[in-house]
Amino acid sequence: MASESYDVAIVGAGHAGCEAAVAAANMDCSACLITMHFETIAQMSCNPAVGGLAKGHLVREIDALGGIMGLLADETGIHFRLLNRSRGAAVQAPRAQCDKSRYRLEMKERLEKTPGLTIYQGIVTGLIVEKNRIRGVACGDGRVISAKAVILTPGTFLNGLIHIGLSSYPAGRANEPPSVELSEAIQKLGLKTFRLKTGTPMRLDGKTIDWTVFEAQSGDEEPVPFSLRTEKKLENKVFCHLGYTNEKTHRVIRRDLHKSPLYSGRIRGLGPRYCPSIEDKVVKFSHHPRHQFFLEPEGLNTSEIYVNGLSSSLPYDTQRDILRTIPGLKDSKILRPAYAIEYDAVLPTQLLPTLETRPVDGLYLAGQINGTSGYEEAAAQGLMAGINAVLKIRRKNPFILRRDQAYIGVLIDDLISKGVEEPYRLFTSRAEHRLGLRIDNADSRLSAYGREFGLLSERDFVHFQKKEKRLSSVLAYLEKTKVVPERKDRISLKEYLRRPDIGFENVLEYGPMPEALSPEEIRHVVAEVKYEGYLKKQETEVARIMKMDGMRIPAGFNASLIPGLGREAVENVAKHKPKSIGEMKKLPGLTPSDVMNVFIHISTRNVPRGTSRGKMLLKDE
Amino acid sequence: MYDLSLIETIVAVSTPPGSGGIGVVRLSGPAALKIARALFRPKETKRKFEPGRAVLGSIADPGDGRPFDEGFLLFFKAPRSYTREDVVEFHLHGSPVILEEIVRLAVRQGARPALPGEFTLRAFLTGRLDFLQAEAVDDLIRSTSLAQAKSAFRGVEGALSKKIATLRDGVIALIARIEADIEFPEEGRPASKKDYADKIDRIRSTVDILVRSYEKGKALGEGVTIALVGLANSGKSTLFNDLLEEPRAIVTPFPGTTRDYLREIIRIKDASFLLVDMAGLGRPSSPVEREGVRRGKKIAAESDGLLLLLDGSRRFSAADGALIESYRSRRIILVLNKTDLPEKTSMADVNCRFPDLPLVGISALKGNGLAELRKMIYDLFFHLIPADEIIVFRKRDKLLLEEISVRLLRAKGMILRGRPIELAAEEAREVVALTGYLTGEIRADDILDDIFSRFCIGK
Repeated sequence: MASESYDVAIVGAGHAGCEAAVAAANMDCSACLITMHFETIAQMSCNPAVGGLAKGHLVREIDALGGIMGLLADETGIHFRLLNRSRGAAVQAPRAQCDKSRYRLEMKERLEKTPGLTIYQGIVTGLIVEKNRIRGVACGDGRVISAKAVILTPGTFLNGLIHIGLSSYPAGRANEPPSVELSEAIQKLGLKTFRLKTGTPMRLDGKTIDWTVFEAQSGDEEPVPFSLRTEKKLENKVFCHLGYTNEKTHRVIRRDLHKSPLYSGRIRGLGPRYCPSIEDKVVKFSHHPRHQFFLEPEGLNTSEIYVNGLSSSLPYDTQRDILRTIPGLKDSKILRPAYAIEYDAVLPTQLLPTLETRPVDGLYLAGQINGTSGYEEAAAQGLMAGINAVLKIRRKNPFILRRDQAYIGVLIDDLISKGVEEPYRLFTSRAEHRLGLRIDNADSRLSAYGREFGLLSERDFVHFQKKEKRLSSVLAYLEKTKVVPERKDRISLKEYLRRPDIGFENVLEYGPMPEALSPEEIRHVVAEVKYEGYLKKQETEVARIMKMDGMRIPAGFNASLIPGLGREAVENVAKHKPKSIGEMKKLPGLTPSDVMNVFIHISTRNVPRGTSRGKMLLKDE
Repeated sequence: MYDLSLIETIVAVSTPPGSGGIGVVRLSGPAALKIARALFRPKETKRKFEPGRAVLGSIADPGDGRPFDEGFLLFFKAPRSYTREDVVEFHLHGSPVILEEIVRLAVRQGARPALPGEFTLRAFLTGRLDFLQAEAVDDLIRSTSLAQAKSAFRGVEGALSKKIATLRDGVIALIARIEADIEFPEEGRPASKKDYADKIDRIRSTVDILVRSYEKGKALGEGVTIALVGLANSGKSTLFNDLLEEPRAIVTPFPGTTRDYLREIIRIKDASFLLVDMAGLGRPSSPVEREGVRRGKKIAAESDGLLLLLDGSRRFSAADGALIESYRSRRIILVLNKTDLPEKTSMADVNCRFPDLPLVGISALKGNGLAELRKMIYDLFFHLIPADEIIVFRKRDKLLLEEISVRLLRAKGMILRGRPIELAAEEAREVVALTGYLTGEIRADDILDDIFSRFCIGK
């Protein structure tokens, strides 16, 4: 039946699909990446940047696992900043402006050079499923591609509908056709979908902007790379510029609010609160006299400028009038208008922690289809789906990261256990163990896995091991070396460094370290010392949680007898029959207090014998 | 071991042990009504057990069907009951034999005897009460004074719970502010250090008020210990008997009559006080007296308040002055006694020396000025408690609140001294968890919600 067969087929070559495809191929599987358009592989549909708080963390984790986003961002970056330099290590993260077209081309080249990876230009219109097991995909051109696992990464294309003012047209991205049949095929499998909304600002012609009006922002003098494997020196090649809206702008927006599809009720999907359109900001924060925006170049060989902060779904005329009110943009020309887009996403509570769908064996979802937003969130899921698809084919244990291990773990756990209502973006505050999830220790946390899966080369891994050795030798040195600062107490260098106003440079006054460290490695050492008490406490907490997660739920456990559990929770427990508290936690529809209730029941159940309660709880025992 | 499953129906005699005009047996749980039906025969046979309506009938052993008491059955249908379960109460004659028999019969019908506090535990488990309210129920039951009972009842109504909820919201807003600064560094609207410090101070001041209320709560609950101190023969024992309204202490004209101490409870308005009489704290003349003085000093040190007696018929002495000095930082009332005798020390003399200490003139012998003294004693401890003040009675709660205060202070210190703000956030998150321990619910954080509703964020 099938014309050709692969281990893994990946549908969509965005940031999720590319990571998934490269991971699968690098794990020595045959992979086929199907894209609508070769020219839009790894297209940055929105802002020309990678990273930021939590997102930069994700890229570091992807990199530590042997993924590719960090390498590409470094390769094509034109403006680099480490955010929150003045704060502690846990909340610092890199962000880079990238050259959009170069990012696409570099990615395409990388995909083409990856052994075992085939790229095919086609539109997937059907999913081939036999007995709840995926067999492959059917393309609109009649080709059938059979595969043991399929990863869907369709971005905003599922039933995409673009709004500009009160006019709308079906599209997956501006002027690109949406994927309608695929959405139907997904729903036919019994997967529930819902509508989300996102938007993008206008792009301006840089030649028509009066740059003298805006405050220029340069990149860091010493750029910090995303990837520890990047060897070339990073350079800032452009400036970003900062500007503000004003009362006149807001008057124009209020004047035309009735032309907004959002405020006139035409858009049903829920948009992200953290990335509001300019009309949202003006309405919800009417007391703010101005809102800031950034002018960001889309690349080196283009005059297109991305107006970060002015995302909108107002009509073209209003967009033009908005610009007229802003000094410096008075005469600017809109190259591409801002727009809002509505699309289908799949309720992520229908996924396993491996990103495999519960109803269909071997079918994985990653990226915006799971309700997330952001290139980095997509890439992280793509990587995890790719790895897990291969592990499943090989009948190996799945790869699931815990919340205390990685932001990737937080991201996936949030999706599958809490679900989403608006496009989900990662924040550092979503992590309970933020102090331990840092960019400076992503490799310590994850590189062993990257090596195990064959995604990190031997050379890179040796490099990592050497670094680990250097760090532990310096930490040991700090612990055992005693000094008497200000002729008072005799304390270790470590205790000295823990003091609030003491930095690594002060420690160096007492002599050189046994190993020379890079600025990055120094940040690691300082963080480990300054956070030590908090990190230890978190470790104990994690150990407690893991113990609880490991508690076995006896066969025949009847959740309906536990008071206060919602119907959905009871049904899900009955349906999925979790074997442990940890497994039960991952089920949809269970709140933390539900889990705690069950835990109390099971843990107290074994203690008092002689009552009939144990038996009543366990009907079949 | 408490049963947490709420499967079983529990039963207990709910009125105090012993005989009484009326006695109540209470059943709670899924089978409460079924069990009650087996034991209870309504007088009007067709009568249904409507929730909230008293039904007259008789109680009988289902074994022989012979009634042995008559009374009312009250049915409270879940969730509109104390435990949010089905609850049935039998209001019968208060004979312990009858009441215990009903419990025995109910157990035979499948109920289980309730453990102490189990009805309230169920109210907590079903979410009818939070932890603080459940504690307040216990406080209310155990109240030893009306003032305490009133205050505990406010706890049952959820006054303290509401206060903690407000506190928690305040801390979440604080965290949201910190997180907004951390997550959106390019938004360029960071709060100033002073902003943060002020926010934290505001939250802390409410926490500290609650912490301080514990002392008052303790006074309301355990009663306040008040020691009578003064030089020998200043009239302590006479005053002791006066306040007690019975001649408990032996009184003689000779100094040093009281060698050991005496304790008795007195009531003033709705509060109780433990009054302690003891030996005069002057120069002891014998080993027995010396021991008396030693013990007296210890009691004075441990008591909550002092009545320091001065003898108005003698000249104010250096020993009097020294005694006042040594206790002046305590809660103290100066009592100028023997105002019926020729005056050697006047109110004005004392007031001039110690203008900041409360002073009252009395004659213990004649009983003059006692009403005023009683009022002063009451006010010394209770005038600060307005009728609507929220009081923390439990040591557990006080310790948690103290921990919250310490963590807030630490967070503030970190922000002011320029330490990494994410550590201040850790402290504040811990505070949120602690409020969860207080109310018995540890909820997932609502911090992001708060960020988005309060701050204009958008890149």
